[in-house]
Amino acid sequence: MTGANAPYGSLSWRGASLAAKEINAAGGVLGHKIELVRGDSQCTPVEGVLGLQRMISSDHIQFVLGDICSSATLAYEPIVENAKVLLINAASSDPTITYKAGVGGYKWTFRNYPTDEQRAGIVLKYASEQRHLHKIAILSVDNDYGRGAIALSKKFFQRYGITVVSEDYFQASTTEFLPELNKIKSSGAQAILMYGYAASSRLVARQMLESGLAGKIALIGNGDFTNPQTIKAAPSVLNGAIEAAAWSPDYDSARSKSFVHDYEAAYGGEVPQVHAFTHWETINLLAAAIRKAGSVDPAAVKQALAGISFDGATGVVKFDNHDQADLPMILYQVENGKPVIKGVFRTAVVYPKP
Amino acid sequence: MPGIAIGGRYAAPQVAGGVLIAACLVLFPLVASSYQLSTLIVSMVFLLPAIGLNLILGYTGMLSLAQMGFFGVGGYTSALIAMHFGTPFWLNFVAACLVPALLAAPLAIPALRLRHTSFVMCTIAFVFIIESVSKNWVGLTRGDMGLSSVPRPRIGLWSDGFIVHTTVQYYYLGLLLCALAVAALVAIVRSPAGRYMIAIREDEILAASVGGRTWHYRLAAFVLSAAFAGAGGSYYVHYVTVISPTVFDPSYTNTVLVVVLGGGVGTIAGPILGSVVFVALSEALRIAPELRMVVYGLVLTTSVFAFPKGLIAPLTSALRGAVQPKARGPHDR
Amino acid sequence: MLQNLFTDGLVIGSVYALVSVGMTVILGVLGQINFAHGEYYMAGAFAAWWAIDRLGLSYMASIPLTILIVGILSLAIGYAVMQRLVDVSFDAGIIATLGVSLLLQNTATLIFGGTYQIFDGGWLEPMRVFGEDIAQQRVLIFLVTLVVFGALEWLVRKSTFGKQMRAVSQNVECCHVLGVDVRRVVLITFILGTTLAALSGVMTAPITINIYGAMGEAITLKSFAVIVMGGMGSIGGTLVAGWVLGIMESLVAAYVGLQFRDAVAFALLVMVLMWRPSGFFSTKARY
Repeated sequence: MTGANAPYGSLSWRGASLAAKEINAAGGVLGHKIELVRGDSQCTPVEGVLGLQRMISSDHIQFVLGDICSSATLAYEPIVENAKVLLINAASSDPTITYKAGVGGYKWTFRNYPTDEQRAGIVLKYASEQRHLHKIAILSVDNDYGRGAIALSKKFFQRYGITVVSEDYFQASTTEFLPELNKIKSSGAQAILMYGYAASSRLVARQMLESGLAGKIALIGNGDFTNPQTIKAAPSVLNGAIEAAAWSPDYDSARSKSFVHDYEAAYGGEVPQVHAFTHWETINLLAAAIRKAGSVDPAAVKQALAGISFDGATGVVKFDNHDQADLPMILYQVENGKPVIKGVFRTAVVYPKP
Repeated sequence: MPGIAIGGRYAAPQVAGGVLIAACLVLFPLVASSYQLSTLIVSMVFLLPAIGLNLILGYTGMLSLAQMGFFGVGGYTSALIAMHFGTPFWLNFVAACLVPALLAAPLAIPALRLRHTSFVMCTIAFVFIIESVSKNWVGLTRGDMGLSSVPRPRIGLWSDGFIVHTTVQYYYLGLLLCALAVAALVAIVRSPAGRYMIAIREDEILAASVGGRTWHYRLAAFVLSAAFAGAGGSYYVHYVTVISPTVFDPSYTNTVLVVVLGGGVGTIAGPILGSVVFVALSEALRIAPELRMVVYGLVLTTSVFAFPKGLIAPLTSALRGAVQPKARGPHDR
Repeated sequence: MLQNLFTDGLVIGSVYALVSVGMTVILGVLGQINFAHGEYYMAGAFAAWWAIDRLGLSYMASIPLTILIVGILSLAIGYAVMQRLVDVSFDAGIIATLGVSLLLQNTATLIFGGTYQIFDGGWLEPMRVFGEDIAQQRVLIFLVTLVVFGALEWLVRKSTFGKQMRAVSQNVECCHVLGVDVRRVVLITFILGTTLAALSGVMTAPITINIYGAMGEAITLKSFAVIVMGGMGSIGGTLVAGWVLGIMESLVAAYVGLQFRDAVAFALLVMVLMWRPSGFFSTKARY
C-alpha cells in the first residue's frame, strides 16, 4: 500500500503500520481490517509503475499511499485513473501533482502533504521580513526537487525584494563545495538558499566552516538543517539556519504528542520523523473517509474524502478543488544548536490558469 | 519470436520451434495476469536496445556503452513530437529511430578512430554528455523535472485512430515492435554487409585485405545500433508516460549488458532469452534491489569465464545435440 | 580567491591521482581497465568507518587496518577474477570488472544499509599555509600523495619487482619464456593498485563525510579521464593529469557553474581522445 524509498520509505512504512495496527486493534473500519502491502519504486517511475501494476492486479489493492518521489507519483496518476484505485499522496512535494488533479484532470489522486511552492514562499517570507536577508546565493541539488524548488522560489523574489548573486546546482554525489563557497564569500551574499538532502547539507556546512563563513552567511531552504546530525557537523554554521517542515516531533498539539509517544513505544524509543508522521496521519485520514462514506468502495471513499473535514495533528485537514489538502507549515530556526519553532504558516496554492 | 528468423540455413525443427514459441507469445495474454504481461513489457523495453548492442558487439566486436544514451534520445524525441504535434505513434517511432541514428553518425566519426578501451570510454562519455544536455536544455526537456503526461500511443494513419491503453494492448504493441526489430536484425546480419561485419569481428585486418573499407561497416553498425536503442526509448516513453534524465542512469546500461551477455551475444535468440530471464529474475528479487544488482554483477563476471556464449548455448545444444556454430562471442580469441 | 581555487584543486587533484595511479599500473601490467576501481576507494572508506565507529579505533589506527582489509579483499578478487584476465580480450575484461563493481557496490549496501554512514575522524582544524586557512587533512592528503608517487617511481624504475612489472607490460609471451611468473606479478600489482585506491578513500573520508555503497562510481569515471590524459601507464603523467583535472574542476565550478563540475572530466576525456589519444605524457600510443 505504499511506494517505498530507503530510508524514507521504511520510515513511512513504520508510520503507516503503526496506524493500521492501532485501527485494527480498535476493531478496524466498518468491521474491515486494514491490510498493508508494500512495493518498492526505487524512486523511479518505471519501477514504481511496475510495482503499482502488480499491486493492483495481484494484490487487488483499493487504496495506494505513495510515492515519496514526485517523479514516480506523477507516473502513478494516469494508472490509478484507469484502475479506479484511490491514490493518496503523503510525501511528494512537486506542485504539478495537484495542478493536474481534481478540476485539473485526474480524479483519483489526492495529496495530504504541503507542496514545494508553499514551502518556498514561507521560507522566503520569513527570511526577508524577519531576518532582513535580501541578497542570496542559490546552491541546490541538481534534480527535479532542487531545480523545481528554486524555480518556485523565483516566483516570490520580487514580492520579498530578494536579489540573487549566484545560482549553482550540485549533484547528490558532489563532495567538493569550496570553489563555490569561495565565490559566494566574495559576492557579499547574506544567505545561501539551498534545497538538498541531509548528506549534502552536512558537507556544505562543514566546508562553510573550513572557508570561514560560519555566522556570516545563513543557510535557508530545506535540507535537514534541523537534524541533530547536520547541526553536529558544524554547529556554528547551522546557527541561524531557516527551514520549513510539514511536521516535527516537538509540534505542540495533543494528537501530535500522543503519536510521538505511541511511535516511540512501538519502535524502541526511535523518534518519529516527518514521513512516518504523514503516513500515520494519512492512514487515519483514509479510515475517517471510509467511515464517512459508510463503505470501502473506492469511489464512495473518494467522494467522502473530497468533502472531509478531518481533525488532524496540525489542524483541520480539508481538500481544495484540486484535491490538495490545505496544510500549515512549521517554520524553524536553529538557535544555539537547537531547532526553535518560529511560527506556523499557511499559504493557499495559486494554480496556473489552464 | 525466433520464428521470424526463418531462412535457408534453419532446419525444420528449428522453424517448428520458432513458430511454437511465437504462437505461445501471441496467445500468452489469454492466460497471463496483467502483472505478468507488464513484466514482459519491461523485458521488451530492454530487448530493443539490447538488439542494438547485440548487433554492434556480437557482430562487429565493438563494445559500446552508449546504448542507453541513444535510448533516452529516442524517448525524448518521441515524447516531444507527440506532445507538441499530437502525431500518431508510427511517426513518433520512426522519428525516435532516426534522430538517435543521425546523432550517432557524427559522434561515430571520431569515436571509431579509437580502439578497445578508448572506444568504450568514449561511448560512456557520450551518455554523460547527452545526460548533461537533457539536464541543462531546460527549454526543451524541462531539465530534471522531466516530461510528464506523454500521450499514449495512438495507432492511426494520421489524425484519428485507436489509443493503446490497456496492458494487453501494450503487450501486443511491444511484441510487434520486437518482431520487427528481430526481423531487421536477421535481415542485417544475413545480408552481404552483415557477413562482412562478422568478418571484421573475427579478424579486421583480414577483412580489410579481402576488400572493402571496414570503417564504413563499423559506422553502419554503430548508427543502426543507435536506431534500435531509439526504438526502445519510444516504446518505453509511451508506456510509462514520463521521462527524465534518470533514464541515463548506469544501472539501465548494466541491465542491457546483462541481457545481451547473459543471454548469448552474437546470436539472434540469445538476447531474447536474456531479456525474459533477467527481467523475470529482477522481478523475483524485487523485494531486495541490492540483491538483484549483486546477482547481475555475478552474471556479468561469471559470463566471461563460465558461459561466454550465454544461456542460449547450453539450451540450443541441449535441444539439438550440437552447438550452433554461429554462437560465438567476441571473447573467444 | 584564485589562490584558493588552485590550492583546493591541487588537493582534490591529488585524490584523483592517488586513485587513478592504481588503475594505471593495473592497466599497464594487465592490459585491462579495472571498472571496479572506485569500489576499492569505497571499500577503504567503509573499512575505516567500520574500524572507528564499530571497533572504536582512532583514525590513525584505522588506516593500517583498512589497508589490511582491502588488501585481503583484493587478494581474493585478484585470485578469482583478475589473474584470469591475462589472456582474455579487453571487452571481456571490462565486463568482468564491471560485474565485480556491481557486486562490491551492492554488497556494501546490503551489509551497511542504503543510508549514508557518517565518517567521524581526521584532522579538520584549519592551519595557515601561505597566508591561507586550509584544513590539516587537506594538507596531509597533498603530502601523502607526493610521498606515494615518489615511492612508486622508485619501485617501478629501480626495484626488481618494478623490472618484472615493466617486462610483463611489454610482452607477456617473453615473460613466460624468461621465467617471470606473470600471474604473480599481476596479482601483486593489482593488490598494490587497489590498496592505493583504499588509502585515498581513508584519507578523503574526513572531508567527504558521507560513506555509501555507490560513492566510488564517480571516482571510477574521473579516473578514466585522468589515466587517458596521463598517458595510460605513466606514473608521473597521472599525477600531473590528476592535478590538471582538480584545478580545472575548481575553476569551472567557480566561474562557469557547479552543475558543470562533473562534465569537466568527460569533456577533457573526449578532447584528449579526439586530439591526442596517447595522452600528454606518453611517448607511445597504448590502446
